[in-house]
Amino acid sequence: MKSIRIFFLLTLILVASSGLFAQGAPKAAGSNLTIGLLMVGPYNDHGWSQANYEGMQYVIAKVPGTKLVYIDKVNPADRPGTTASQLGESLVAQGARFVAFTSDDMTDEAIKFAQAHPEIFVIMTSGDQQWKEGKAYKPLANMINIMGRMEYGKMIAGVAAAMTTKTGQIGYLGPLINDETRRLASSVYLGARYAWVNYLKKDPAQLKFRVTWIGYWFNIPGVTSDPTQVVDEFFNSGCDVVISGIDTTEAVTEASKYHSQGKDVWAIPYDYTKAMDEGKSVSLGVPYFNWGPAYVKAAKDAMAGTWQSHFEWNDPDWKNINNVDTSAVGFKKGVLTVNASQTVDKFVKELAGGLNLWKGPLNLQDGTQYLAAGKAATDLQIWYLPQLLQGMTGQSVSK
Amino acid sequence: MIVEFRCISKAFGAVKANDSVSLSVPEASIQAIVGENGAGKSTLMKILSGYLCPDSGQILLDGKAVRINSPACALRLGIGMLHQDPLDFSPLTVLDNFILGSPSRFVPNRRKALEDLAGLAGRLGFSLSPDARIDALTVGERQQLEILRLLWLGAKVLILDEPTTGISLPQKEKLFVALKTLAAEGMSIFFVSHKLEDVESLCGKAAVLRQGILAGTMEQPFDSKELVRMMFGKDLGPATRSCRENGKPQPCFNLEVKNASMDGTRFRMKGIGLQVQAGEVIGLAGMEGSGQELFLGACGGLVPTSGGAICLGNAGKAMTGRTYHDFQGSGVGYLPAARLEKGLVPGLNLAEHYVLANRMPGFFIDRDKALDLADSRIAAFNIKGGPESPAESLSGGNQQRLLLSLLPDNLSLILIEHPTRGLDVESTIYVWAKLKERCAQGASIIFISSDLDEILQYSDRVMVFFAGNVTPPLDAESLNVQRLGELIGGKGWEALQGKKEAHQENKELEHA
Amino acid sequence: MHESRPVRMLFGSGSIVFALLLTSLVLLATGTNPVAAYSNILQGAFGSADVAANVIVSWVPLMLVTSGLLVTFTVGLWNIGIEGQITLGAIFTVWAERELANAGLPPGLVIALAMLAGAAGGALWAMLAGVLKAFGGVNEIFGGLGLNFVATALNLWLIFGPWKRPGIASMSGTLPFDPSLWMPTITPQSRLAIIPVIIALVGIVFVFILLKGSYFGLQLKAVGKNPRAAYILGIPTWQRMMTAFALCGAFAGLAGGVQVTAVYHRLIPSISSGYGYSGLLVAMLANYSAIASVPVALFFAALNVGSIQLPIVLKLDSSLAGVIQGFLVLFVLLGNGIRTRIFGRQDSHGARPARSKRSKSGRQCEGDDHE
Repeated sequence: MKSIRIFFLLTLILVASSGLFAQGAPKAAGSNLTIGLLMVGPYNDHGWSQANYEGMQYVIAKVPGTKLVYIDKVNPADRPGTTASQLGESLVAQGARFVAFTSDDMTDEAIKFAQAHPEIFVIMTSGDQQWKEGKAYKPLANMINIMGRMEYGKMIAGVAAAMTTKTGQIGYLGPLINDETRRLASSVYLGARYAWVNYLKKDPAQLKFRVTWIGYWFNIPGVTSDPTQVVDEFFNSGCDVVISGIDTTEAVTEASKYHSQGKDVWAIPYDYTKAMDEGKSVSLGVPYFNWGPAYVKAAKDAMAGTWQSHFEWNDPDWKNINNVDTSAVGFKKGVLTVNASQTVDKFVKELAGGLNLWKGPLNLQDGTQYLAAGKAATDLQIWYLPQLLQGMTGQSVSK
Repeated sequence: MIVEFRCISKAFGAVKANDSVSLSVPEASIQAIVGENGAGKSTLMKILSGYLCPDSGQILLDGKAVRINSPACALRLGIGMLHQDPLDFSPLTVLDNFILGSPSRFVPNRRKALEDLAGLAGRLGFSLSPDARIDALTVGERQQLEILRLLWLGAKVLILDEPTTGISLPQKEKLFVALKTLAAEGMSIFFVSHKLEDVESLCGKAAVLRQGILAGTMEQPFDSKELVRMMFGKDLGPATRSCRENGKPQPCFNLEVKNASMDGTRFRMKGIGLQVQAGEVIGLAGMEGSGQELFLGACGGLVPTSGGAICLGNAGKAMTGRTYHDFQGSGVGYLPAARLEKGLVPGLNLAEHYVLANRMPGFFIDRDKALDLADSRIAAFNIKGGPESPAESLSGGNQQRLLLSLLPDNLSLILIEHPTRGLDVESTIYVWAKLKERCAQGASIIFISSDLDEILQYSDRVMVFFAGNVTPPLDAESLNVQRLGELIGGKGWEALQGKKEAHQENKELEHA
Repeated sequence: MHESRPVRMLFGSGSIVFALLLTSLVLLATGTNPVAAYSNILQGAFGSADVAANVIVSWVPLMLVTSGLLVTFTVGLWNIGIEGQITLGAIFTVWAERELANAGLPPGLVIALAMLAGAAGGALWAMLAGVLKAFGGVNEIFGGLGLNFVATALNLWLIFGPWKRPGIASMSGTLPFDPSLWMPTITPQSRLAIIPVIIALVGIVFVFILLKGSYFGLQLKAVGKNPRAAYILGIPTWQRMMTAFALCGAFAGLAGGVQVTAVYHRLIPSISSGYGYSGLLVAMLANYSAIASVPVALFFAALNVGSIQLPIVLKLDSSLAGVIQGFLVLFVLLGNGIRTRIFGRQDSHGARPARSKRSKSGRQCEGDDHE
């Protein structure tokens, strides 16, 4: 009897202490680290997933002792019946001690995974779970969130679009509606309107900015709207610049097609430095993520034992937004006119100098006040933008 | 073309369908292949036409041994087969269908085909509109089309499997004239039938198969008795003339149809009235698709009526608008013509059929009881098959016996389409004996048949259908084959018209 | 007429050999060692207790779906709408859990009620396909496909609309339920819940008995093989089809319920995970036999789970599992075809749906029935 009681006591202590340990970060990984990467789309999608993939390749190149195992197309449509946490475990079985979940989709599974594997370092890219002030705060010692301030890249894209459009109509090919996509679409609009009013000196009412959401980050036949058709619709209804917010390159492909038929149309892809390759003659430029530096930092922290759960929302390197080793977000210019190109450079300089477009007076789409005159938006206000902004056409919330 | 079978054998499991059959057929002849159901006629013809491969033996065409691996191969060699049921049900036109089989041509020459079709049809005395739709043709017309098509494709040997079932008398006559023309032109024709009168009037020679063996051959003039003896290995008594021996009409009605109307695809039938007494047999005559199928269906709730009333039993229980299953519950049974398509379930064995037809209490099937039931029924109806035999493995006659044995006891009304179509004499006699037993027990029977002799022989009263028109019930004794044939062909209806209003007492019609 | 058992086994194993051979050729063409690929799949499916548990997790919904499909196949229906039925099952389960989450009921009861709701949801959706077929004359294949799209749309609408997680709508689905409403797993770390396994086993045994020894099963068989004759024999054909649809839908709904309560713990866009279509393949590969479908479903689940190793270890696309499955079904069907040619028709225990003139006339029959 006594031994049983002792056994129970021991178990209790063990459970309690493991709970205590679970509060702390995982033990340092040491000099060797196998990194597991889960991507929502194909690793070579010329978009979001590839940007993440190359970010990790950058880590392997820069940090000695690291090794990569990955799995792509982590979504239940491509891998029916699997869950991201299950796939994460498959990577752990291949030796991974550091696992990056790189899509908003994987949030719940990443949390499950992080809870079930407190010894594994977990990155939840684009998430806000470790943001103390954030709405979804859920402290997990082994998880960090990483995101780049793509808002800047999108504003630059907006400037490029506004400086190029002849019809004054810009189309935004949106993925699904959430806080992130709303703030990115709105950033494009802010950039475009700024150029329209300040550089071109035109009436902001003359700028038509339309957003169409396809329903997901990429085309899933039968589930999402077909992005190719959405882009066609934009071009056929007067838009001559389409800015892509989705992970794949339909906007550029379609623009190339129209361009080869002699139409003056342009597109701006998203996510990945080389996304313009699909249509160099029509791409005005590309705002892209450069995940490498942030991932390097996280990997080094994991190896050295300096890992601390946190949320980071990284700025571009204003000295050179296209610096591979320092800038989290960049904008690569494409076929801009000389004037437009110079204007884009000028705009970047203004941003570097402290220009803030997320500043009042700004109203939400339904006319309610978002920011009072002269008031700058806080990070929370930007991250959790509740609607599109006034002046934009398109759905603000999913119905 | 001279066709010679040398020692053809074909077995299906333990059953020898053909056992060393040797037969030579010269050019310009019509050769009858006769035998009871399951004697191996169809097997032999299917071997000749490439649908089956023989286990052993040879086929020689003009003295040369050939291998016939497929129907297409047979056709290349000049052998064309006409099936018992013409297969084309597609919504094509006559001309399309005609062109369909033309070999190795991507773009058919329609004009040429049209000329050929008209030429061939003219030669054989067939009148087919090239633009008519196949599904609007009668069985006989489809047959004509098929013959023309096979000729066009170069058939020198023509195989006809039971071609006279389901076609009208005039069509049959036309067919026979055409076949004789073709034979005279040098064609070899195989005529598979169990109808001896057809054989006698058409064929020069007859080969009799019995249980897979060539039981004998005979030339014109035929000795019918000897043929029957060869077919069955015994003499058969003459068929009973009529089943109305008991004579006295019973004062009990099993069915009353009052002023009923039905909508067919091509016509509307109306004002049909009929009272059927217990023990009475009503024959429905007419060319296929003349409306008799609709009427029979309406009597069993299988076809909706668009007016009038249908009542069952002496009490006149109103059944208008009810489903077949309601009719079933009130003592109506139905035996369809297409046994394997509509009556039986291929893939289920006999025991399973009995279980389905005779629901026993409980959720689970009592296997032993089911087998007992099957054994007793199989014995009672003299079915060649076991409880575990699949329904489709039975021969036509045995399938009909199975259908009969599935009818529940105590039926008051039995509706039958073509009760003996495709059956040999022995089975025909058996089937009608069983049906008459039912009549003696008080059931009434309404049946459709294209066999005029059968109609006249077994019916008490006859209704003739022509393009949706219906005669009042006519006393069978007042009719003969000639008169019936005319009515079916649409002749002699004027005489009926005047009396239609007051037809209830159909005795009057004897004068017509 | 009747081929022996060894012959049938020869054909069965021949099909598997051919399928593997062809897959190997595909692998060699891409420069991969087939042995490495197969051993990786094996390793990934049975290499550890954890992955083996994942195989069982994947087997449960597949088995449930297949059980239901055996019923509809028997009655001669191609229930392509099965995917939608899984989805609706999941939606109903989520709905019930949402409604009952704060009702103060014991969590076990909530889960049980939610599963029942899921079964009801699947059954209703299946009966919709049945109604379309019986009363609208819509072939169940097209009706089912249409309803699949509607189900997907409804699911997405719920996830991005009324049931979106607070603040944002996300492709990752609705907010996960409180862990108390999760189907309990065998250990806290494991993904394997035992109750769904029991449900799946009971389900297939139920279907086996139903089809093998009951009047109802025999009636379904008769309707499947010849609806017209079945009707003449006194079997209410469309009612039986409807019941078969409902039963199959209930099974699919349970599968959806399992996906919600035991796997994803929330509603996700592709909650059906393609199990419906896989189930169709399993049923065909098992030659519509309830007993054979158990190992076949396990095999499919193992392929699904094991093939995840391919992209990770060999950088191969994991759709290779789909290639193997596809080849298998193809070769088995081909083998059956050849066997039939050689040995004649063999309908010993086949509930092969008759897709021919027969079923057309069957529909007409139903028409007669309720006009």
